[in-house]
Amino acid sequence: MAQKWIEKTEGIVRADFAYWVGKYMDKFYDGLEKQKIVGNKCPSCNKVYVPPRKVCGDCAATIPLDGEWLDLGTKGTLLNFTATRYSVSERRKKKSEKTTIIGLIQVDGSDTAVIYPILDAQEQDMKIGMKLDVVWNKKQQGTPNDIKGFKVAGGA
Amino acid sequence: MNVDKVGIVGYYHIKPSMDLDMGRYESIFRAVRGALDSAKLERKDLTSVVSATNDFYDGRTISNCFTVEPSGSYLKDETKVEMDGAYAMLYGMMRVLSGNHKLVAVWGASMASCFPYESVSLMATDPTFERPVEALNVMTAGAFQMRAYMNKFGVGPEDIASVAVKNRKNAAMNEMALPESQEKDASVKGVLESEVLSSPVTEKMYARPCDGAACVLLAPEQQAMRITDTPVWITGVGYSQETYYLGDRDLSKSKSMENAARMAFKAAGVNDPRKDISVAELYEHFAHEELIQAEAIGFSKAGQAAKLSSGIGGEIPINPSGGAMSGNVLCAAGLMRVIEAVKQIKGEAKGHQVQGAERAIASGQWGFCAQNSILYVLEGGRK
Repeated sequence: MAQKWIEKTEGIVRADFAYWVGKYMDKFYDGLEKQKIVGNKCPSCNKVYVPPRKVCGDCAATIPLDGEWLDLGTKGTLLNFTATRYSVSERRKKKSEKTTIIGLIQVDGSDTAVIYPILDAQEQDMKIGMKLDVVWNKKQQGTPNDIKGFKVAGGA
Repeated sequence: MNVDKVGIVGYYHIKPSMDLDMGRYESIFRAVRGALDSAKLERKDLTSVVSATNDFYDGRTISNCFTVEPSGSYLKDETKVEMDGAYAMLYGMMRVLSGNHKLVAVWGASMASCFPYESVSLMATDPTFERPVEALNVMTAGAFQMRAYMNKFGVGPEDIASVAVKNRKNAAMNEMALPESQEKDASVKGVLESEVLSSPVTEKMYARPCDGAACVLLAPEQQAMRITDTPVWITGVGYSQETYYLGDRDLSKSKSMENAARMAFKAAGVNDPRKDISVAELYEHFAHEELIQAEAIGFSKAGQAAKLSSGIGGEIPINPSGGAMSGNVLCAAGLMRVIEAVKQIKGEAKGHQVQGAERAIASGQWGFCAQNSILYVLEGGRK
């Protein structure tokens, strides 16, 4: 048989999607722009959501847009972590010499957790339950990447 | 037509491969044709075809529009599920139960060799919050899940590795398993020392996606008995979906599988799964997911599944085929668990046959950390 013909289709279409994030996430990103992490509280079960939600999954209650919003500060607790040398968004062959640590972080005062890189850390130093601080990007633009990541509290 | 029961009357899957030597359409054709051949039926006998493919995995939208001819659905009732074939089978089952269909082909297929699966999975994350951060994909999610499970119950990595060893050794006895998964000499040390993909997950704990295709045929009770002397009945099915955000969930367990199992067991009259089930085929994208599912199903208490006697000759054999490790064909691997359960009940599992298998369960899961679960109870007999 002749050699397999492999047709690569990279780059034929570039389709950028312009999503409106909605009224709740607008508030959240407005907060990030001011270096604040805000969450909203379910009026029925008092669960605090980060990012904010309109409907509480646990009790199916609607959380009103003008309901209780909390400014949660910038500290968190490490719930889980993983270390990988593979880029999350690139081909497997794009393996890096550098290990990235990714954490599941509970922002203090919330009942959920967010996923961000843990910066300037070694895997062997990671301990579930350790305290973390937010690291802000230099320029705040009201996007998820306003948070650059988290670092171990009290670290350099 | 009043239909009470749905029978599986035919099945086939091609041998999974890391780089299949046939195109997508040919693989689908062979799966559907193979299932029809197994039941000695023809394309004209099909009244409906339900497919399971994923547009992202196929790199085209409405990807079933190209599979009309090879899947036998040309000018027929045809529909699609964008998940595993195990979910498509529930859809196919509903079409049979509607009383409108006498023979439904349910197939699932994908070719992981065509695209970078782990990074494409980033497209399944929340597009406005998580995707821009580029920290979550199927691999980092699986790593969180494994660590959550180990941390909650004090389970060690060697316990997780033992699942991979069992499934890779079982795959070595399954002639239709992915060749790369067939490791009769698999060892805990070998699994733990294989490359770290995203800690604590190593390469050999991971059911790496591959190429393949699978098909089952469903028929209403009376029709099923006309087609075959050995139909396998779906006596229970349960399905449940958890919330999306991993940070909202307890990743050390599977609430969706707990619900699915409760539903399926109630329908099938299973009271004590450990006594009432002869064999389980559970879709494990990662080795630890087999343990989490086994606990959700009720084979053991939470955190204790690693202690189960789950080998082929064990008290409750789990994944005698090798499970998803023996060929993680995306969109088909759950359906292949159903096929393996059917093989066990019909005594057609050859090298990995569990003696006296009467009542089997088969699961499918989908989503990050198995957000969705589906579970079937399958039984043989002409009753």
